[in-house]
Amino acid sequence: MTERATAGIRVERPLLLDPAFLQKLDTLSLLTRRRVRGAQRGERRSTARGRGLEFDDYRAYQPGDDYRYIDWHVVSRLDRLFVKMFSEEEDLDVFLMIDTSRSMAAGGPSKLLLAKQLAAAIGYIGLVNLDRVGVSAFASTIGPRLDRLRGRARAFDLLGFLSGLEPSGETDLTLAMRRQLAATRRRGLLVVLTDLLDPHGYERALLLARHRRFETYLIHILADEELVPAFAGDLRLVDAETGRAVEVTVDAEALRAYAEARDAFLHGVERFCFRHGVEYLRTTTTVPVETLVLRWLRQGGLLQ
Amino acid sequence: MILGVPAALWGLATLPFLILLYLLRVRRRDHPVSSVLLWQRSAPTLAAYRPSRRIERSVLLLLQLLAAAALVIGLARPALVAHVPAQGDLILVLDLSLSMRARDVSPTRFERARAEALDAVAHLRGGGRVALIDAGPRPQLLVPLTDDRERVAAALRALEPWDAAGDVAAAVVLAAEQPVGPGGRILVWTDAARGSLPALPEAAYRILGTSDDNVGITAFRAMRAPAGAEGLVRIDNFSARARRVPLEVTHDRSSVYRSDLDVPAGGARTAVFPITGSGVFSARITTHDMLPDDDVASTVLDPAPLPSVLLVSRGNPYLERLLGLLPVGRAAETASAAPAAWGGYGVVILDRVDAGPVPPGDYLLIDTVPPNLPATSTGEVRTPLFAAWDETDPILRFVNLTGVRVAKALALTPQGGRVLAGGDVPLLWAYEGGGIRAVLLGFALQDSDLPQHVAFPILVANALAWLGGGALDLAAGETLQVPAAGGSAAELTGPDGSRRTVRATEGMYLLPPFVRAGAYLLTTPAGVRAIAVRNPDPRAGMIRPGLVPVLPGAAAPHPERAALLTQVAVWPWVVSAALAALIGEWVLATRRRGGDA
Repeated sequence: MTERATAGIRVERPLLLDPAFLQKLDTLSLLTRRRVRGAQRGERRSTARGRGLEFDDYRAYQPGDDYRYIDWHVVSRLDRLFVKMFSEEEDLDVFLMIDTSRSMAAGGPSKLLLAKQLAAAIGYIGLVNLDRVGVSAFASTIGPRLDRLRGRARAFDLLGFLSGLEPSGETDLTLAMRRQLAATRRRGLLVVLTDLLDPHGYERALLLARHRRFETYLIHILADEELVPAFAGDLRLVDAETGRAVEVTVDAEALRAYAEARDAFLHGVERFCFRHGVEYLRTTTTVPVETLVLRWLRQGGLLQ
Repeated sequence: MILGVPAALWGLATLPFLILLYLLRVRRRDHPVSSVLLWQRSAPTLAAYRPSRRIERSVLLLLQLLAAAALVIGLARPALVAHVPAQGDLILVLDLSLSMRARDVSPTRFERARAEALDAVAHLRGGGRVALIDAGPRPQLLVPLTDDRERVAAALRALEPWDAAGDVAAAVVLAAEQPVGPGGRILVWTDAARGSLPALPEAAYRILGTSDDNVGITAFRAMRAPAGAEGLVRIDNFSARARRVPLEVTHDRSSVYRSDLDVPAGGARTAVFPITGSGVFSARITTHDMLPDDDVASTVLDPAPLPSVLLVSRGNPYLERLLGLLPVGRAAETASAAPAAWGGYGVVILDRVDAGPVPPGDYLLIDTVPPNLPATSTGEVRTPLFAAWDETDPILRFVNLTGVRVAKALALTPQGGRVLAGGDVPLLWAYEGGGIRAVLLGFALQDSDLPQHVAFPILVANALAWLGGGALDLAAGETLQVPAAGGSAAELTGPDGSRRTVRATEGMYLLPPFVRAGAYLLTTPAGVRAIAVRNPDPRAGMIRPGLVPVLPGAAAPHPERAALLTQVAVWPWVVSAALAALIGEWVLATRRRGGDA
């Protein structure tokens, strides 16, 4: 199975997602907690009332209103002019931010591969449901990006783009988020796939997204060895991104101290997301992508 | 268990440095991780576990320490001394030289020798007899051949090395003269540091010692000179490397001289310096050698060069005037010839006084012969001549009797002592014995022109000095008899401050042999007298061990030595253990994940 690159050249590259799994995704759609305002008609209730099919409300007739929307049954009963209001079904803007820093290369399979698979699945669901899907890779700044895909036909573009992402650079989520938000005027659903191993911190970046009223969904991807290190002895641990080294004698006591620091970090992320209304899902690279999408993302309220 | 090179144990001091290096060393493997963020956050917690936990849990460090300790102990050449039960009579000879105090054999050469000798006595088979000879400056048979092993063991335990060189060769010859039975042997413990030893078929030598590292004080004198008192210190370097030796001389705990002397290998340096005051002076050199016992020495500068003098005379202006000029402790004159009145004076001058038998003491006799001296007077001799005199005798030092005329003198017939000057008849005679020390001048001063000669004051001063003046200067190993002068007991204070009471026997204090060099103080009812004991042999500080004498025609040391005392080397096993520990550490380190070898 191969896919087509965006430039139209066929390259031999394994598909990120299995076709059978893609078929299962056809039945899913992205959920938002509030109405969104799109640019084109889509399959989602819009805050713009007008030509949709779903009745929303009445209001008094005003000069200039379309006569076709006057409800004559109400006029005959109340002897006043009322027009029917309909919710317009519009498309959803879905922004996928994938962390491609060097730390995402860790794990088996790598964290980056899982992030690309999740992004492919979410993006595919969005395209199938006529949402606008944008994808951007980031490390310390925004890297390659793919804007405003729409429709099932752009699925190959999405998959091809994701397949070409490689780990590089250092993580600076705040800077990347700032540039992402500067390039996007429309609000929508923002899915951030990252390991959050950012020495600058993650809080400011997520607060920026919330401030711009993006519905933010944070998928926190970790490798098993980051949760429970599988090495021991007198080591000089070298950071894959910064090259910074920490000398540690890894023994039971050190692992216990590491576990305490890890738990404090993860609990901090959970508390932050809960407090600021950021949907949060943590996973490891050993969890199959199908399980994540079909079970945990549905339970987490991102998909239905 | 004995150690061939005990100094190697200083290497154990490196073990703490090994631990320190273990803590400080940076031998970590690089291990890439996705991020060190969480490790940095756990660092404060980790700090609480370092470094003690790390040491507690490190088997590798333990193995390294074991290997290092075993290696150091192996370098000390440990050996087990095995004893083969001896048959027949045994004569034990122990070298009591100063060099046997050397500490290159733990604890000292002599202590090792004594322990081995006690073992040899304990392992003697039934029927064998044992004798003990001390090889001190004057070898003597301490215990004749006997079956009483406890007696021999007690005598062994009472032995102490002298601050002098022992005569081991004479001791071995003395041992060879003992009537041993068939199969009898002579076991000699010595370091053979000075001179060769007699090669006898029945003698087995145990040579002790491994080092020649010693610097010592071989001479220390305090003397009065015309320009004032001065001290002299000689330092000998017996080792094979040049040394810089700090020297300090103290008096009453105050430093009177301090200098750093560069002493070449095998050479000597002498320091002469002015001193003031009198009493005990101590010299000390600060070195780190194998024989610290010769790093300290003491000497005495007596406040009065000449003793207190009692002149018993009916009047002698020459002597009265002279005693007023000489530096005597005190001088008095009496006409009483009763000996009971003479107590408290160092020397009694009997000038033409017939006092009868004299009690033990020091006397200058002028024209009189007490009946209890081994000399008789058979009348008078007219115009005797000073035909000859012994200029080497200390009494006649610097005394020139040329031209001295004597009108008449006693016709002396001495049966002992020594004649110092005279012609046809002895005119000057000295005697020492029976508690009496006497110098006899055979004529009255009024019958001679001796008082008009320069020789007169010198002769009297020399005689007084010989009789009892100044500090007594003895060699270690010598004994001394001091006239009690009516006293019954005296107290002898040693260089180390130890005190010992000496009872008067037949009018004499018989002082025990002076084993240690240094300044002694003899406190008697007549006063305090200082005794300076020196090391008589400058070579006593040589500690380089010698060789076992080889019998003519024999190619190797006498095999009897191995027959009684056998050393089983332990160090190969200890070194093997060290290697095993190292190999174990290496295997563990290479197999252990994240090992820190």
